[in-house]
Amino acid sequence: MNKISIPIGPQHPLIKEPISFNIDISGERVLGCDMRLGYVHRGIERLAIKRNYTQNIHLIERVCGICSHVHTTAYCYGVEKLLGVEIPERAQYIRALMCEMERIHSHLLWLGILAKHIGLDTIFMHTWHDREMVLDSMEVISGGRVTHAVNKIGGVRCDITPDHQDMLLTMLSELRVQVDKLLEVMDHDGSLKARTKGVAPITVEQIKAYCVVGPIARASGVDIDLRRDAPLPPYDRLEFNVITRQDGDAWSRTILRVEEMRESINLCEKILNNLPVGAIEIRAPRKVPPGEVIVRTEAPRGELFYYLRSNGTDMPARLKIRTPTLPALGILPAQLSSIHVADIPVVLAGVDLCIACADR
Amino acid sequence: MIFPGLFFQFTCGLLFEWLDRKILARFQRRVGPRIIQPLADLIKLFSKEDLLPIGSNETIATALPLVSLAAVMTAGFYIPVAGFYRSSFEGDLIVIIFLLSIPTLAYYLAGVVSVGIYSLLGGGRSLLQFFSYEVPLIIALSGPAILAGSWSVSQILKTQGDFGPFILYQPVGFGLAVIGLIGKLKRNPLDIPKAKSEVVAGALTEYTGGKLAFWRIVMNVQAILGIFLLINLFFGQLSANPYLAGIIFIIESLLMIVLLSTASAIFARMRIDQLAGMGWRILVPIGLLQLFFVILMGV
Repeated sequence: MNKISIPIGPQHPLIKEPISFNIDISGERVLGCDMRLGYVHRGIERLAIKRNYTQNIHLIERVCGICSHVHTTAYCYGVEKLLGVEIPERAQYIRALMCEMERIHSHLLWLGILAKHIGLDTIFMHTWHDREMVLDSMEVISGGRVTHAVNKIGGVRCDITPDHQDMLLTMLSELRVQVDKLLEVMDHDGSLKARTKGVAPITVEQIKAYCVVGPIARASGVDIDLRRDAPLPPYDRLEFNVITRQDGDAWSRTILRVEEMRESINLCEKILNNLPVGAIEIRAPRKVPPGEVIVRTEAPRGELFYYLRSNGTDMPARLKIRTPTLPALGILPAQLSSIHVADIPVVLAGVDLCIACADR
Repeated sequence: MIFPGLFFQFTCGLLFEWLDRKILARFQRRVGPRIIQPLADLIKLFSKEDLLPIGSNETIATALPLVSLAAVMTAGFYIPVAGFYRSSFEGDLIVIIFLLSIPTLAYYLAGVVSVGIYSLLGGGRSLLQFFSYEVPLIIALSGPAILAGSWSVSQILKTQGDFGPFILYQPVGFGLAVIGLIGKLKRNPLDIPKAKSEVVAGALTEYTGGKLAFWRIVMNVQAILGIFLLINLFFGQLSANPYLAGIIFIIESLLMIVLLSTASAIFARMRIDQLAGMGWRILVPIGLLQLFFVILMGV
């Protein structure tokens, strides 16, 4: 059979953000792919050095739509380290709460997209319906469904009142019921397993060679999770399980993220039940003394790396962001060779690409 | 013309599409469309701009859905609806199966004639799928013919009036026929030719406007006639009273539509190699076994 090249992207029903793959196929076998990035490159790092630190919070939140809060959390922790201020405990817990809720809604979104692309529209509709519960609670707390603007340098902007706490705990217990039902359905559904089991396995050597992080690495057995290995407060005071699986195929990546959702729900409840009283912010000076800092946090897709250098003014000298999707894009051509054409959606969706994050 | 002719088939096709979309929506915790939504969609499609890529043959591209529509509506003449049929002759079951397969071949040609990589892939896949489900379907549909001793659908219907519905004698054959029907109608889990995530819209990617509207009509009529055929072959005529037979026919159609919509809601799409494996390694042997038992029963 002769080789034909199908273009997936920059616009295709398969991908949510523009990225271009030219996939060479022969019959029903994929031979390789040619990838092109940069369609959503906005030059965030360059824009950041032209704005002051507070304006940059607004900018950094818009690097990505799904993991917006964790980006600003990393940035604010970096600036606060440079300033030498320690934010109150209550603010730390509120930041962690929003991070975990973001993890839940990101995994629910991703699961819906994967299900839709393999033809299980029903799971897509159900998970996105559950996602609405999380988004509505985040809107009640912060005023925004997707970009919350909760962080500020020195603490958080919104407090969690006892009413909010009750609402959140009710929502989390309903969500836990839905996630357990989802796990049960996925465990018993033969068609989902038939489409994802054994597809595109990634070995531990490949993970280490491409520096892949996050749920993809954990699905292959590499036990890394920055919430436990290099914790920002308050994760050093919270107990949770890090889920790993051994097979490294698409099914492992799927079921691992659903189990991570359950852990995040547990974490949210722990945070809400142990919320310390106190202020939610402290006053931080505008001019940041010269220095450089590295902040690493666990975004829903893996390790998020921020490097910040200041020069004594109120604008940063250099901001460098390395998002977890970038190494995942690196391993994609290796995954895309020698699979069926019908497995392309499983692989692309399983990697959980967030191109806006990768392109910045 | 009116019953059970072209207008009737067209209206039944619209009702089928509405019911299918409504049931699917309820499975997905949604509300679903109003009853005139399929008709509204067709009217909207007719008002859209009708274009094709450079290099495609406009005449063939327009002729393909019209020929398919003519074929399925002709097949409708021989399929009894609650006992009423236009005409019949010995062997019309074979003609019906052939006429209901013409849309699949036309789909492939539509993929070839609309110049574009997704259309070509979708059309090729529809032929691959055709080879995997058509043989089990024909084997399953031959069962009632052999049991009744006739290849005429109306004759099979009359024989079931004496012996009872054939589904009691060959339930496995009914299951195979349903799977074959899902493959023929290109519904989930066998909607591989039009898998949105891989080939955008399959062979009909480049179709818009009136031509696409006719394709949708073809698919709806093909679906409802396939359901009617299965009801006639496996459920038979349960009552002599024409009004009661009509009501029972409606109930049977609704049950079949619920069955098809449920199957489309709860399964993920199959991969083409999984379908080919299942078709030839599981369905065909089971079908032949069922046929063997049917021949024994006939004797």
